[in-house]
Amino acid sequence: MNETLHRLNCFVENKPGVLARIVGLISGRGYNIQTLSVGPTEDGTVSRMKIDVLGTDRVIEQIVLQLRNQVNVIEVTVRHAAKRG
Amino acid sequence: MKSFEQPVCGAQALVDSLAKAGTEVLFGYPGGAVLDVFDKLPGAPFRFVLGRHEQGCVHMADGYARATGKPGVALVTSGPGATNTVTGLATANMDGVPLVCITGQVPISQIGTDAFQEADTIGITRAVSKHNFLVQNADEIPETVAEAFYIATHGKPGPVVIDVPKNVQKQLTKAQYPERVSLRAYHPESTATGAQMARLAKMINEAERPVIYAGGGVIASGASKDVAAIARKAGIPVATTLMGLGSFPETEPLALGIAGMHGSAAANRAIDNADFILALGVRFNDRVTGKLAKYAKRAKIVHVDCDPASLSKNVRVAMGVTADVKDVLTTVNSRVRKNEHPAWLAQIAAWRKEHPMAWKPMHPGVIMPQQVIEAIDRATGGDALLVTDVGQHQMWCAQFFRHKHSRHFLSSGGMGTMGFGIPAAIGAAIGKPDHKVVAVCGDGGAQMTFEELVVAVEHKIPVTFVVVNNGCLGMVRQWQEMFYRKNYADSILTVKGRCGNERLDEDLAYDYLPDFVKLAEAHGAKAMRVIDPAKLEPALAKAVRHPGPVLVEVIVEPRANVFPMQPGDTPVEGMIFQ
Repeated sequence: MNETLHRLNCFVENKPGVLARIVGLISGRGYNIQTLSVGPTEDGTVSRMKIDVLGTDRVIEQIVLQLRNQVNVIEVTVRHAAKRG
Repeated sequence: MKSFEQPVCGAQALVDSLAKAGTEVLFGYPGGAVLDVFDKLPGAPFRFVLGRHEQGCVHMADGYARATGKPGVALVTSGPGATNTVTGLATANMDGVPLVCITGQVPISQIGTDAFQEADTIGITRAVSKHNFLVQNADEIPETVAEAFYIATHGKPGPVVIDVPKNVQKQLTKAQYPERVSLRAYHPESTATGAQMARLAKMINEAERPVIYAGGGVIASGASKDVAAIARKAGIPVATTLMGLGSFPETEPLALGIAGMHGSAAANRAIDNADFILALGVRFNDRVTGKLAKYAKRAKIVHVDCDPASLSKNVRVAMGVTADVKDVLTTVNSRVRKNEHPAWLAQIAAWRKEHPMAWKPMHPGVIMPQQVIEAIDRATGGDALLVTDVGQHQMWCAQFFRHKHSRHFLSSGGMGTMGFGIPAAIGAAIGKPDHKVVAVCGDGGAQMTFEELVVAVEHKIPVTFVVVNNGCLGMVRQWQEMFYRKNYADSILTVKGRCGNERLDEDLAYDYLPDFVKLAEAHGAKAMRVIDPAKLEPALAKAVRHPGPVLVEVIVEPRANVFPMQPGDTPVEGMIFQ
């Protein structure tokens, strides 16, 4: 399966450790994050993360499901080459 | 809010919160950064059990949780105390066991300074826990404890770590334990849709060669009786995973036993030939599927699990249902028609007859390890709460004990943690004092956490510890025999037969080390050694009746292997029977 660029849009609680948890789920599989930006939303208690990562659809789908399982993750969507999620 | 109450220190708030969360037993080990909490323990309304190593403490809490279904709770200090919990946490995390582990931490002002006994506990435990918290202020303690217990027990259960810096333990707070927990982003409850239930019922009713495949999720969900109800009504045979053993009584004619690498021929062939598989609370781990591309390729699979991330993770399924197993089964039951599948069950019976779970003696006068497990089954009337370590004996426990009750087979399935058995059995026996707990360990794993035997002696916990001693790391030795040209590099624990580059003097006075009988006696336990096959059953019968902890060392055939075996990444046709 081909690795293609996926953009993960994550809305997360603005708490310490959340970024590390999310990055760990991605880097733990040996995937290299191409671009990462984190910023506040209008609601100061919620942060938005934009993560660009190269990966197969199958693995990205798995990562998204695991991200959604995280206690501090409110929502995750995927764009670009992803078929589902 | 009872804001008129006097403030208490963070340590007291933590102890009070643990009590409010329902803690009955706390397993722990003290140290500098958690002394304030220990200072408040003597007045706590719950029991404390002092382990001898933090890994042991967490395994005890884990065994307690697996046996009772209630969250296990552990308390350790910072730095090495916290790092020693990692294996225990990872073990619980893999098998979905609810735990709350409190770790002391250096004062906030010293975090990041390489202070004495400082470790980045949050960073280290992130990958081996379901969630973790660093408490920044004593006011957060009650709410954090409540959230930790909620997270540990909701959705797929798992371990949660709360790291509490020492200065926070000393801060005063008036914060009260919350009446309910509401997490903004974590809402794991999910139910099946009406359409999914209708489709599931249709598939069950139309299946000609159905199999129910039950895992640890059935036990976690308390759905054993519901599985049995559907299986009996619709005439569906039931295979289980290692973690699912006991979820369906193996005394039933519909029981296929365990599936997978060391599963029964009947279970693996039934899955291979099935046209419909109802997979309940399983993960389709590689130890179960063998070669993925050929796994259950004739079957439509419906996978029910509370964890959406486990659906379609390994095996592509016809329908994935994120829901509680018990909810799904109770709902679908009324739509399931009575059925018998006589031809299918006859085929399965033929497979079972062709390759029953069986063993043969290898040398006269030498006890076979499988025989030990069958003897334990008989000595306890089949009702033992069996706790295993990891390796060959674990597989024999899975194969040769007739599993009848859920929460009666406790084993480190996903992580395969050697050293789990002794402490987990102690925790299980503390949680279930009215049950006969038997721990079965190999000689390798028993040496990893043997120090915890002291705890069983101190608390007079009547666990029967059986060390199946084959003088080697049996499962490693088996793989070396089968896949590494019989090059038994460093898997032999007796002095004779060790790898050349270890440079042992074969004239050493001992061959088997340690002497488990002396070792157990030094820990204060009663102990006996069995070498003669004729003395095995009487010794075990005596041991299980002993009112305190007792260790039975059984010297067994060193070259016995676990069969059947479907080696990794092979299809079911590749099963080896001897």
